[in-house]
Amino acid sequence: MAKEAANNLVETSDYIGHHLVNLTFGWCEKTSSWGFAHHQQNLSKSLDSACDVSEMGFWAFHMDTIFMSVFLGVLVFGFFGLINRSAKKGTPGKLQNFVEFVHEFIGSAVSSGYHGTSKIVAPLAFASCLWILSWNLMDLLPVEMANFFGQAGSGINYFKILPTADLNAPLALAAVVMVLVTYFSINTHGLGGFLKELFIVPLGPLEFISFVSKHVALALRLYGNLFAGEMIFILIAIMFGQFFMSFSQTLWFLPGLIMNLAWALFHILIVALQAYIFMMLTIAYLNLASTKH
Amino acid sequence: MNINATFFAELIAFCIFVFITYRYIWPSMASVLEERRKEIDEGLQAASESKRQLEDAKEESSRVIDAAKSEASTLINQAGSRADQLIDEAKEQATEEAKKIKETAESDIAQSTNKAKETLKEELSVLVVAGASKILNKEIDESANKEIVDQLIKEL
Repeated sequence: MAKEAANNLVETSDYIGHHLVNLTFGWCEKTSSWGFAHHQQNLSKSLDSACDVSEMGFWAFHMDTIFMSVFLGVLVFGFFGLINRSAKKGTPGKLQNFVEFVHEFIGSAVSSGYHGTSKIVAPLAFASCLWILSWNLMDLLPVEMANFFGQAGSGINYFKILPTADLNAPLALAAVVMVLVTYFSINTHGLGGFLKELFIVPLGPLEFISFVSKHVALALRLYGNLFAGEMIFILIAIMFGQFFMSFSQTLWFLPGLIMNLAWALFHILIVALQAYIFMMLTIAYLNLASTKH
Repeated sequence: MNINATFFAELIAFCIFVFITYRYIWPSMASVLEERRKEIDEGLQAASESKRQLEDAKEESSRVIDAAKSEASTLINQAGSRADQLIDEAKEQATEEAKKIKETAESDIAQSTNKAKETLKEELSVLVVAGASKILNKEIDESANKEIVDQLIKEL
């Protein structure tokens, strides 16, 4: 009994660990070559690196994050571009209506939150909101799905379908926002004014810390919410998993089902809310940067 | 939580998507909406214009109807008076005609009465002569007694 419990524990931590590892393609110091992390894929022997994920340095790419985010981006922006291209003059179709609703929604958010003149803010808000939303929606797919398909045939053993749960992606978005905020600030206050605001007025270097931390927080807020949501899905999935391990654990099946459903329903809110919050904060920061005070 | 070169890949991807949105998607959406807005605006204006025109037309039509009505009533009045006039004229004419006919008839009657009287007088004179001659049993010289007879006849 104790052994079984210990086994379960090992398997559980393995399971969680497995679900938190990205499909990584990177530089391996040991062999001085590029390749996928050890045992992550069975596609090509020559691409299998001797290094584990943890042994790869900075020069590693999370292929699943990149693939999923670009794929979703092409899907979403392609959809909008296509609908716009086929937009007719007269009465709009249903898809056209949807596209215009989204446009109006984001347009009104921008026009109420941003009082500057830059033409980049609305497209930036649109792109970030929809891209993040499409990422976050991946969280509602069953956690086991990607691995199931991966092991069933594609030869990829590690694949995280949620780009938001990889800190690199939200951080990249926040970095773009930070660069734009800096540019806007310099535009309105001049370089001297901006630096003065950053290091001297009113609380000295603390202002610089707050400037950086608010952008890091922008990324971490998004990342943390979705990562935690994913984590809870994984824990619930483990509850399901007990079903196959011993008869006494079958009782967990029904509560697991209910909890999964409940969490998924609740998570829809977080999925949309986090995308919205990111967009609104982006608009607010850019507005703050482009107003004199 | 490990930050690596994925960050740059995501950064580039995001910049590309923002640029695509900025360059193509957002303006085309805005232009479609602007066009639709203009179209709706035009439609509303046309609707209010046609409403105004309809009101004008209604006013115009009621004005025309009123004019026609008043014209009709004056025409009816005129026709009525004309009819009365015609009737009067006809009556007058008929009366005159009747009078004329009556006069002719009366003169005819008078004439024929006179004629009859004359005839009767002549016949009477003849009869008188005949009677007298019968009484006298002799021929009365008509020419000799003509004066007397004529006298007689005149006294009749």
